[in-house]
Amino acid sequence: MDKRIWAIGGGKGGTGKSFVAANLGLHLASLDREVILVDADLGAPNLHTLLGIKASHPDLGDFLTNRVPALEDTAVETPFRGLRIIKGSENILFIANLNHYRKLRLLRQIRQLATRNVILDLGTGSSYNTLDFFLSANPGIVVATPEPTAIENTYLFLKSCIMRVLKLYMDHYKILELHQKMLDQIEKNSQSLYGFFKSLMETDRSYGTILYRALRGFRPCLVMNKTRDERDVLLGRSVADVARKYLLIDMKYLGAIPYDEDVHTSLRGLRPFYVDHRDSAAAKAIRQMSEELAYSIEFTLRTPPEIRLPDT
Amino acid sequence: MLKRIEDWNYYELLSVERTASPDEIWEAYQAALATYRDGSLALYGLVGEAERGQVLERVQEAFQALRDPARRRDYDLALLRHAPYFPPKAAFRKSVGKLEIEEAPVRKTFWARLKRLFAKSP
Repeated sequence: MDKRIWAIGGGKGGTGKSFVAANLGLHLASLDREVILVDADLGAPNLHTLLGIKASHPDLGDFLTNRVPALEDTAVETPFRGLRIIKGSENILFIANLNHYRKLRLLRQIRQLATRNVILDLGTGSSYNTLDFFLSANPGIVVATPEPTAIENTYLFLKSCIMRVLKLYMDHYKILELHQKMLDQIEKNSQSLYGFFKSLMETDRSYGTILYRALRGFRPCLVMNKTRDERDVLLGRSVADVARKYLLIDMKYLGAIPYDEDVHTSLRGLRPFYVDHRDSAAAKAIRQMSEELAYSIEFTLRTPPEIRLPDT
Repeated sequence: MLKRIEDWNYYELLSVERTASPDEIWEAYQAALATYRDGSLALYGLVGEAERGQVLERVQEAFQALRDPARRRDYDLALLRHAPYFPPKAAFRKSVGKLEIEEAPVRKTFWARLKRLFAKSP
């Protein structure tokens, strides 16, 4: 089965990651596609609330604590045809601190879910767990808002992803001494990623090539949410361009979702926004993004480098 | 290709193809001005003030060179001498991400050698 795992992440809270995940899921389901939404925001799950669904069992916590053997069994039907959800756990505390074994088990079972589309709604920040879920998906979508705090954290999130990708490859090729060197250089200034690769190419071209190809294989997408004017829309384009130039990654700007007061109204009424406001500019933007992404996946993101975490 | 910002040519700096029309160059210039203007949000937390100023100067230099057909022709010729240009053949890029960690050669660890030894023995 040709499976697509979508991950919605970002560096800052409140940018609308869950909103994008829920509405993307509803849009894909409305196209008669099978979708499973996974609330992978382990520390603060509330994806079900955006769909107007009450917390109930089974949920992700039941799988992670071995009460339910297969992740598939925790995917419950929603009132929307074709859309199932794996709810996050609100009762089991500290579940966000997944150990390595549990993380691998969860990742493995996510890949085995019997559906064509899995959408992961990730938590805020750049913990290893969040980064690994983001990197295991294709496409990975970063959601930002046109505010300095969100932009700052978006770059931090992207830098963390880059470091994680490179570290996974360094671990595999047993070139761990490079990791500290890379950390030291990248913390110095924004052009240091170039400096690191330049010096690596001079000292060891084969490892330099491997790591550079690994970096170029990381192709996240960007969504600018809650935009209020044309300047905010263009900001997304600028951020993607700056990321391409300074972080050396091939970042694609998917587009902007305009700010809509009805999002708040829908949330207050525990009603999914996409269902009640299909003709709104925000809903149209989500549809457009989904189409844009479908085209990109077909032509440019078709063969992503697969990153598997080591079993140790 | 791995390049320092100082080494980017004018087209790379404005993120346009070498075949870009004057309108496309104008549009890219406006976008670059918005990105590298003073107090730009797009650079927040990543690019310092001094670096921003340098890039902005180069963006303006790039636009001045590319807006003038005669200067652009001279620049293109100089660029071609330095590095030949192959326009993209398709509407999409060729993927470079074929490297998979699973495709990497198997490391010859002690356990792998031991396993092979037992596998061969009758």
